[in-house]
Amino acid sequence: MKVFEIDGNTLSLSLFTEVTNSKELLDSMQAGTLEPEVAFLNASLIPDVFPVLASAHKTLLAKSRESLTTRTLHSELVYNYSGSKHITESLKRCGISDSTTYILAARFNSSIDEMKAAEKLIDGKEIELEELEGRANQAQIQKHYKISGPELGISTVANAITCRIAARDAL
Amino acid sequence: MEIQADEKEGSLILLKQGAEARIFESDFVGRRSIVKERFSKKYRHPTLDSKLTLKRLNAEARCMTKARRLGVATPVLYSVDPVLHTLTFEYVEGPSVKDVLLEFGSHGVVEERLDDIASQIGDAIGKLHDGGLIHGDLTTSNMLLKSGTNQLVLIDFGLSFTSTLPEDKAVDLYVLERALLSMHSSCGNVMDRILAAYRKSSKQWSSTFNKLAQVRQRGRKRTMVG
Repeated sequence: MKVFEIDGNTLSLSLFTEVTNSKELLDSMQAGTLEPEVAFLNASLIPDVFPVLASAHKTLLAKSRESLTTRTLHSELVYNYSGSKHITESLKRCGISDSTTYILAARFNSSIDEMKAAEKLIDGKEIELEELEGRANQAQIQKHYKISGPELGISTVANAITCRIAARDAL
Repeated sequence: MEIQADEKEGSLILLKQGAEARIFESDFVGRRSIVKERFSKKYRHPTLDSKLTLKRLNAEARCMTKARRLGVATPVLYSVDPVLHTLTFEYVEGPSVKDVLLEFGSHGVVEERLDDIASQIGDAIGKLHDGGLIHGDLTTSNMLLKSGTNQLVLIDFGLSFTSTLPEDKAVDLYVLERALLSMHSSCGNVMDRILAAYRKSSKQWSSTFNKLAQVRQRGRKRTMVG
């Protein structure tokens, strides 16, 4: 687990591989019975923490203005990370599915105990966030975010994603 | 558990103030950043003012990211705030092309470096124009050279728009030509080198150059006589 500070709030991140109970997690999340509340992101689409932090920044700003687009703070994080305006599709692609085995768990303003409790929900192996880059699915990322060849000549994948997250509502 | 503590974003340092916006230096979740704030114009009707400001803010964000998609380096966009009318983007470390060329003017030209700069400029503008993007304010102070790699980074897309008309592309180039002539005439003919690179990079160079010849005769504004 690692904790990042964003404008006086915190975001705790834990990365898991070989997760076996994603169906269970998905079911309890959709039923709203997940305790504590936590966001699950499809880690294959995350080459670096920075775009996640940019998405978190956007989420907290919307929260402070009471203008969340989705139902909860944590679903908003997943929605914002997608860089798209299609909510259902965003949660499907950037969230988890029945068969997801590689997951990034995120929780805002969490105490250590709460995050530990959240980690216990996941049946998998916790690994370091530094592994994100090597484990990211490049092809899937380029397809989802529509990142062209010329753009990659001048930019990293992580920065390309960050731009899309930031510019979404301007388009 | 480690806590990555960063300074709060509250610490804004004013760097520059223009007619349309203020530029601040700040910190965005741990990275050094630039905040560009478009302020309201008190002499405009409030409704019109907020509409215009928001439209331009969004247009700038769009054009900056479009340039990146076309393979032209611009600062990474971090955040757009439609309420505070701010854009937050990457702090690019390095001198402006203006500073480098002025240095050449006073201490002698480094030919190799100048060639590299000119060809990067021509190549970048060619890519923008072929993608239908007009920068609108091509001056040497709106071009940075990233420290370390010397990569050209275009900034200030506040006057940018999309167009495929040779007229708009020619005027874009003409503005740069005039800027070079007035600021950097001691560097020799940089524009010719830029145009040579533009020709290699843009597939539609021919119609743009024809138009440029016309624009040179009459100036940036079209004559509306007859």
